[in-house]
Amino acid sequence: MMRRDGLLRTTLGVTLMLVIVAPLLMLIATSVSHAWFYPRVAPASIDAVAWVELLAAGAHRDALVNSLVLGISTAVVATALALPLGRAAALGPRVARRAIALLAFAAVALPPVALGVGLQLSVLSLGLGGTLAGVLLSHLVPALGYLTLVFLGVFTRWDRRVDEAAATLGANGIARWRLVLLPLLRRPIAEALALGFLVSWAQVALTLLVGGGAVRTLPLDVLAMLQAGQDQRAAAGALALTIPALIVLGVSRSAARNTPAVVA
Amino acid sequence: MNLSLVPASGPLFRRTSLPLLLVAALLLGVPVAAGVGFLVLGAAGASGGAVGSVVVRVLRDHAVLQSLMLSLWIAAAGTLLALCIALAVTLLLSGETRVERLARTLAVFPLPVPTVAATVAVLLLLSQSGWLSRVAASLHLIAVPAAFPALVYDPIALGVIAAVVWKEMPFLLLVALSLQSLRGSALADTARTLGASPWQVARRVTLPLLLRGMAPSIVAVFVFVLGSLELPLVLGPSAPLALPLLIQERRQALDVTLHGDAYVIALLATALALVAVVVHEWTRDDTA
Repeated sequence: MMRRDGLLRTTLGVTLMLVIVAPLLMLIATSVSHAWFYPRVAPASIDAVAWVELLAAGAHRDALVNSLVLGISTAVVATALALPLGRAAALGPRVARRAIALLAFAAVALPPVALGVGLQLSVLSLGLGGTLAGVLLSHLVPALGYLTLVFLGVFTRWDRRVDEAAATLGANGIARWRLVLLPLLRRPIAEALALGFLVSWAQVALTLLVGGGAVRTLPLDVLAMLQAGQDQRAAAGALALTIPALIVLGVSRSAARNTPAVVA
Repeated sequence: MNLSLVPASGPLFRRTSLPLLLVAALLLGVPVAAGVGFLVLGAAGASGGAVGSVVVRVLRDHAVLQSLMLSLWIAAAGTLLALCIALAVTLLLSGETRVERLARTLAVFPLPVPTVAATVAVLLLLSQSGWLSRVAASLHLIAVPAAFPALVYDPIALGVIAAVVWKEMPFLLLVALSLQSLRGSALADTARTLGASPWQVARRVTLPLLLRGMAPSIVAVFVFVLGSLELPLVLGPSAPLALPLLIQERRQALDVTLHGDAYVIALLATALALVAVVVHEWTRDDTA
């Protein structure tokens, strides 16, 4: 009985691993495949054409740079805003805490296409339609929502006696932030930066609507390659999206535990 | 000499937080309000003020109803399947053998993968000329790609659901595992001591506790899938279109009278999401 149980668990575990890894292996194989015709199960030969093109072609490089600039700016700005706001919400009265949580989750949950249509008109009226700055503003909306929820979670469980002890010892507001809060918050801040980056890095609908096709990013390029039937290039692009995301996985892993909402 | 060791636990923090609370409400609320507000204005503008007639037309439009049903089906089936797998892994692969530990570690890999990348991978695996079809052909199970069952662009959106499960299961699993480790096994142990079988413990103790704790995350996954543009764009059927794609189609329609429809359908999708937001907040444990 025990042995059968162990066998079942092992089978289940191995199946799960295969299902998780198969799509990633598929992307790797396709991105380096050469003349992989139906019904071949494995590519006949491999080359790096798709990768060279992705990294060397000017247009793709622009999209990659745009994605990186947007991701890093979104991460930094959203974290800088969400930290004090999430803290204020967590320390505030219960009704304020719940109202902020509700608004933050609304910013995350609204369909990007619906939110994007509204934001497109807002950004146009600011004169930022089709610009990187306009797209950045639109990415900040869901990112700020996610990160406010992260810091709300962090500070709801925060031991306030730490700040109080520092205040008792004579530390003023700035000193408490510099010497006590920020060092203690190093880990949640790293997680928030990673999450903010990922929200922007994976964004499609808001970039498409607010950028109006003038702002190219890597996810939009991958979609374009796919629609053009360029499987090999699309796979290389998808991996170029996945690898940086997996690198930040390490820091973003525990973010879910500190977040009362989804990690997209 | 002042010996009070409990200074300012109230006013010190309250004072700084009120303006910040207002800023938070503004920064989060204004974009959402602007988004919804411009949709209403857009609907009014495109219809020349006759919003009511557009709303009636959209609600009576069979295509809108079909899109709505497809989107709800994808979100419900995808979320439910991802949830079942996450629970199964939590309950069955909770041991410390090497395979179980490795499976749990690998299972969270898809978490940060951008949805676009996930859809490309699923397309390459499941399409009629995809890898599974190639395996079937090399095993002489099928003769031509068209003989392989349609798993993408299919009317019941199996490909989309597969991508949803691959992408969202890890998030639900992570939540379930962290709930499990926070709660410990005291309640389950007590039930065992009282004579409950392992199955009874799972059904009566572990699962209800997990589901209660996971409720906000389940709602979050549902609403995220409901609003996703790229999932149905790459893998979904072209008739009916998923709701986000229908909005795009009507907005870009050559017939300008349909542009008002796009705003009204977007408002419909927004209303659905707002219901989910309220449910999410209602199910959330505010203290943890």
